[in-house]
Amino acid sequence: MSLFWIVFRQLQEFESMATSKKVITREEWERKLSDVKIRKEDMNKLVMNFLVTEGYVDAAEKFRRESGTEPDIDLATITDRMAVKKAVQCGNVEDAIEKVNDLNPEILDTNPQLFFHLQQQRLIELIRNGKVEEALEFAQEELAPRGEENQSFLEELERTVALLAFEDVSNCPVGELLDISQRLKTATEVNAAILTSQSHEKDPKLPSLLKMLIWAQNQLDEKAAYPRIKDLSTAMLEDPAV
Amino acid sequence: MVNDNRDLGAYFLGLCRLASSQASGDTDMCEEEEPPTELNTINSAGGFSVVSPDKLSVQYTSANLHGHDVGVVQANRPAPVKRLVYYFELYVKSAGAKGQISIGFTNEGFKMRRQPGWEANSYGYHGDDGLLYRGHGKGETFGPTYTSGDIVGGGINYASQEFFFTKNGTVVGTLNKEVKGPLYPTIAVHSQNEEVSVNFGKQPFKFDVKAFEVQERMKLQLTIENLSLPQNVSYGIVRSYLLHYGYEETLNSFDMASKSTVPPISIAQENGFNEQDNMYALSQRKTLRQLIRNGEIDAAICKLRDWYPQIVQVECLKLHDGRSATCFLLHCQKFIELVRVGELEEAVKYGRTELSNFFELAGFEDLVKDCVALLAYEQPQKSSVGYLLEDSQREVVADTVNAMILSTNPNMKDSQGCLYSYLERLLRQLTACSLERRSLNGDQGEAFHLHRVLNSGNKG
Repeated sequence: MSLFWIVFRQLQEFESMATSKKVITREEWERKLSDVKIRKEDMNKLVMNFLVTEGYVDAAEKFRRESGTEPDIDLATITDRMAVKKAVQCGNVEDAIEKVNDLNPEILDTNPQLFFHLQQQRLIELIRNGKVEEALEFAQEELAPRGEENQSFLEELERTVALLAFEDVSNCPVGELLDISQRLKTATEVNAAILTSQSHEKDPKLPSLLKMLIWAQNQLDEKAAYPRIKDLSTAMLEDPAV
Repeated sequence: MVNDNRDLGAYFLGLCRLASSQASGDTDMCEEEEPPTELNTINSAGGFSVVSPDKLSVQYTSANLHGHDVGVVQANRPAPVKRLVYYFELYVKSAGAKGQISIGFTNEGFKMRRQPGWEANSYGYHGDDGLLYRGHGKGETFGPTYTSGDIVGGGINYASQEFFFTKNGTVVGTLNKEVKGPLYPTIAVHSQNEEVSVNFGKQPFKFDVKAFEVQERMKLQLTIENLSLPQNVSYGIVRSYLLHYGYEETLNSFDMASKSTVPPISIAQENGFNEQDNMYALSQRKTLRQLIRNGEIDAAICKLRDWYPQIVQVECLKLHDGRSATCFLLHCQKFIELVRVGELEEAVKYGRTELSNFFELAGFEDLVKDCVALLAYEQPQKSSVGYLLEDSQREVVADTVNAMILSTNPNMKDSQGCLYSYLERLLRQLTACSLERRSLNGDQGEAFHLHRVLNSGNKG
């Protein structure tokens, strides 16, 4: 064996020693966990933030009474926001646009992409309802001019109009536009825009914290073996594999 | 019935103590470290260079002859580590004869006659060749050269465990930080008439550190946001939280609303949420919480006697477990409610009969003393024990009773289940993981504070 290989082996050994992970037993870990103090009011705030952002207005009102937690937004605005969201989800896009403008006309004025997506949704609903002539007229008059401003709008428009070319839309390559998920996508976009206009985060904090937990566990995995929570929905600690 | 009730009592008494320490403002103690402020004149190399009286400039006065007469100076303190980024700058007043200037970081035992980067555990970005040196005399291609009139900076990014260097406000490169211990900001001059000054942050930096930090945070946030979660997991966690604490009305509204969402949310079957355990005594727990939140402590005790006599027996006091803590907290709350409505005489009478038993009991005496102290103030809300009159104190009592009732559930296996909602367990795990990782990193980087994360209005 050449000297090189001897040295190389030794280096490898050294490396594995250096990277050997710290093992934290369940007992030690539980001690660390019990040192962590989580404030009840913080958890309440987190739950309130979820209810408010996701639009559970009645539950938010009840939770305010049952827990004494103040919502971080005027609860009345949730009702309006949810009405818009619901209108899109049910395919009443015109109604939704009117409601958004009642709420704050700046939302659509400052958000051409959102406005386009709403108009596109409107076109989809016309096609869904078999109103071919109306759909064509709407596409040419309302959507095409916007497409000229923006290449990606134009592509979207062409994709949508392609729906008219198929007898059986359920089996065509752009059929997904008619799917319920397209409505939900548009509804989510409007919801986010309204929240932003109310200077509120568009997403609840809880999912971000759950992602942070996954990330923090992954990071710690590199350095230590410790009891981790694999299944978020049961929050059960699982012993480290040693 | 859970045997291990001691935990329960200790936990809620601990919560009360936490509230009291929060009231006196000693929790969010920031671990401020002293940052470097000036150059270290005691430790600097003998005789090759001169540090100005303000300890912020260095000039190489002699003529350099070899590689062991470098005019190298460290900062008076090591770079602080408990933050996202540390950064300092150097201004080249004059490149002198050869422009052999460098900026970097060195460890405590650094040989003070050598350029940073030439020796082990040191790193330096050199002006005459633009090379980066780490640990030996051979540099590697790194950035542009720098000379008179240039401002260069050296920084440590603790989140990514990297060094970075800048020239005239722009990052020129980064490299992994392999060394763990304290590192001193270090500068060096090495040819006649070279003169530089350092800026440890007293003057505004050329480089926008704030923007850099924002960008680093965004990067990290994006990585985290891109992780995926099981569907509806947040929804399930919120729901189990409402069940755990007995927020029954909220729960009912929540369930009603989620039935009508498109598409409807169903989690109970697919995920492992244990419905039955959480449903246990839900409406009784709700009623008791309401009474306590309204300050109707007598009514709450009454109901408890009816429903769960084992929790509020007189002899509980001697048991010194979760039950005695529950009784104790209820009695304290009754006392507090009397003070709140100004019935001080009544409060004194009540205190003598009900609270005096607790005076000598370890773990209880703090709260008793605080309660009694309420009597001393004309405006107890504004006193140091004013926290007792806040809503959160009622909530703690309600939570204690809630947990005690959960512990009477024959299916409950351990006290953990009574104490912690799923949400709390997850948040604990998150905090513990973040703390542990930071401690394995030599306490470098920002500390994780859930409270701060929740109260920052980061708009996304």
